Amino acid sequence: MERRNRNLTYSLIVVVSLLTVAPVLMLIIGSFSNNLNSFGNFTVKKYVTVYTDPMLASILGNTALFVLGSAAFATVLALFLAYLNNRTDIPFKFLFKVLSVMPMMIPHVLFGVSWALLLNPSNGILNMWLQKLFMLPKAPFNIYTLPGMIVVEGLLDLPVAYLIISPAMGAFDASLEESSRVFKSGPIKTLFRITLPILRPAIMAAFILCVVRGLASFSVPSVLGMPGRIYVLSTFIYRVVTMSLIADYGKAAAIGMSILVISVGLIYVYRYFTRSSDKFVTVSSRGFKPTVVELRKAKIPLFIVLLIISFVLIVLPVLVLLYTSLIPYVMVPGRQAFSAMSLQNWRVVIKDPISLRSLNNSLFLGLAGATLGAFLSILVAYVIVKVKSKASGFLESISFLSFSFPGIVIGIGFMWYFVRTPLYATIWALFFGYVATYLPYGIRPMTSAFVQIHSSLEESSLVCGASFATTMRRIVIPLLVPGIVSSWVLLASMFFRELSISVVLSRPGTEVLAVQILRFSEDGQWGRLSALGLIMIAISTIMVATVNAIGSRFKPGEVREKRTKVAAQRLVAIG
Amino acid sequence: MEIKIRGLRKRFYSEGKVINALDGVDLDIEANKIFTLLGPSGCGKTTLLRCIVGLETPDEGEIQIGDTIVWSKEKGIYVPTEKRQLGMVFQTYAIWPHMNVFNNVAYPLQNMKLPKAEIAKRVAKTLKFVQLEGYEGRPSTRLSGGQQQRVALARALVAEPKVILFDEPLSNLDAKLREETRKELKTFLGELGITAVYVTHDRVEALALSDMIGVMNRGNIVELGTPKKIYFDADHQFVADFIGRANLVPAAIVAQQEASTIVQTALGQIKCHRRTFAADDELVLCLRPEFIEVEKIEGSDVNHLEGVIRQMIFVGEVYETEVDVAGQRIMVKLDPTTPYNEGDRVTLSVKAEHCLLVSK
Repeated sequence: MERRNRNLTYSLIVVVSLLTVAPVLMLIIGSFSNNLNSFGNFTVKKYVTVYTDPMLASILGNTALFVLGSAAFATVLALFLAYLNNRTDIPFKFLFKVLSVMPMMIPHVLFGVSWALLLNPSNGILNMWLQKLFMLPKAPFNIYTLPGMIVVEGLLDLPVAYLIISPAMGAFDASLEESSRVFKSGPIKTLFRITLPILRPAIMAAFILCVVRGLASFSVPSVLGMPGRIYVLSTFIYRVVTMSLIADYGKAAAIGMSILVISVGLIYVYRYFTRSSDKFVTVSSRGFKPTVVELRKAKIPLFIVLLIISFVLIVLPVLVLLYTSLIPYVMVPGRQAFSAMSLQNWRVVIKDPISLRSLNNSLFLGLAGATLGAFLSILVAYVIVKVKSKASGFLESISFLSFSFPGIVIGIGFMWYFVRTPLYATIWALFFGYVATYLPYGIRPMTSAFVQIHSSLEESSLVCGASFATTMRRIVIPLLVPGIVSSWVLLASMFFRELSISVVLSRPGTEVLAVQILRFSEDGQWGRLSALGLIMIAISTIMVATVNAIGSRFKPGEVREKRTKVAAQRLVAIG
Repeated sequence: MEIKIRGLRKRFYSEGKVINALDGVDLDIEANKIFTLLGPSGCGKTTLLRCIVGLETPDEGEIQIGDTIVWSKEKGIYVPTEKRQLGMVFQTYAIWPHMNVFNNVAYPLQNMKLPKAEIAKRVAKTLKFVQLEGYEGRPSTRLSGGQQQRVALARALVAEPKVILFDEPLSNLDAKLREETRKELKTFLGELGITAVYVTHDRVEALALSDMIGVMNRGNIVELGTPKKIYFDADHQFVADFIGRANLVPAAIVAQQEASTIVQTALGQIKCHRRTFAADDELVLCLRPEFIEVEKIEGSDVNHLEGVIRQMIFVGEVYETEVDVAGQRIMVKLDPTTPYNEGDRVTLSVKAEHCLLVSK
């Protein structure tokens, strides 16, 4: 038993190192190399060119504003929503649940595109409509600006911040507030002196995670930033490898190093806050209910705000895409638009060989990649939870290494890595790149599933005369099913929409859906983009729903309450 | 079936330190009796139980259950847990959350590959025995703590093992339910008449349930005896102190008489229940509060102690009272209706037969 575990641990360390440590090493070596074909000849030339580039100052400024602004926006909005849901008598609380699973269904790139369709300065639908309505000389809004990017990215990161802050708010011991009230503090003073300071670790954790995601974000900067020539670090890398005559992967690696260092540093800070939050947030095991604040007159206005947020986050993007997919060119909804509606865009897309190939590739990567990823996650989670040795601790840290990896940066690392293997320019490059980068999201639900299986559940099976194999078949595996399903669904839905690694690794013949969407967006093919995007949303929704339905047949009753927790992990992940 | 344990040792390594969880345990557990391993946490009682059932592998020694040696270092025998045919109730109950009550209880029989009808019959019989008739289809997550405990018991009993093991099965229940369940368990085990090994740190549980108690400390059995012997007539200070409240006062033998031993203590000369010790034993006088009367009782076998009441704490059924006797604080119990107050001078009376001498 012990020898078997030791062998398993060491083989996993080798496999996971090849997946997660290798690309980082290649990125580091690559940043000190001239270019892909001259690997390893040490030079600091790339660092010098990149970090003395006169454009860099404005890019760094943009990046800082974009990242901090969107994180702050997302956190404040999340705090507001979490307070409404947990502490007030606002009606229709199920809306909050819907809001928190939204990003499972709509890929970020499509969300960005839908806002471009609404608010771009030349023919944004909402812009044209407002212009006509108020007879303005020019479009009132321009989404291709830094504030536009900040708002859209903030909305996309909102669920992540919400899922960190809301449980903390819900578990908050109301007596802490009540005692403040007893000692003669008003409700507002109590909020600022007691409630918010106690929730500070959760708020800081949410903010930092949003910053890390903003740094890694490629969808919004590429769809909304690049048309207005507003570059942040991630799009700067993209430009270096795609838009110059010779793709300079050395320079890309040199820029990537700084993002990587900042991200890894921030994830450490994040871990620090999530660890100390245990000490801070006093979760009582007694089934208490926090006192509910009656909103009275503010109830209806606040509810309308909630409705608008839900509409903007969930309904509007799909609606815009549906409308755009049916019209030949962008126009304001009206009689003219409705008479021009046809399925032309849909017909073109389902006959377009590249779109079909990208659909095919993304389906393969989603299904097969998630299967391998979930399988690997089971083994790694088993070792992390059940084998307690130094080697298993090491395996844990290298498995979670890629948690802080910005996709496009690690994509550059993989480029340096795969170009030296037969995997280069094949679908398998994407396959292993995905599995490596998203491994932590597969492992998370699996470790909580293993932790749930208290060792006495296995031991009592042995005492009851069951062999090891029977124990596995009848006790361990059935209890793991919810975890396996969560891992698989999460990985499949992330792989199916993956953009930031794919823009680096995808080559003619290995196109994937999100990249094809980006191409359509760069070419202004809005109708085809919308049709393909809707197909993408439909397939991923069906995929998630099917697997969840299969999984719920195995689901033991007790696990139901864990579901929200798993959903939370799921969400922190999507991007 | 009786259980024979010889020279059992088990070491754990933790943070660079070696912990002797079992330090050469020799023990015979009689067949068809309820045997309790009692001791403070970390004394090795659970490790001993897990070695018997095979979930822990000892470093040295031999374990024999009935006629079968299930583990022996010397003879190189190891019978795996699933082949030992024992029943066990876990501290956490270990009820499988994805199965209903029927499948939880039927599991051992299903592993014996019995025919379905037979399984259904025996499960129904066992559930009736633990008073859970009609709960077959209930999901195990929808059971109260007490019901889970009974399902765990039913599962341990259903295959009719010759030995059943209990690992602190009542510690997860609240105080009132624990008392009820303890009584039920006593009835169940009394009816069954099988060998039961019961691990607990709760002295009341041990006294109430057992035919025989083994008190453990630091990986060894300190003392073995019936509940009454352990309570009234312990040999060691550790046992006397652990099994009940006790006033412990260092003592030295002055004279041995026919029926009693006279000792010198800080309380003065005390006439004790006769006992002999090795010459170099350090002795301690043990006075249980419940045997100290707060009035002067005449008699040749009664010790009298003069003191002042220092503190009286009302706890419902009694006043827990501290009396200062020659500078020693002696704990006694006073009726709730007592006329005494703090500061009163009192005379305490203790019969010699209740003055227990133990070795340190």
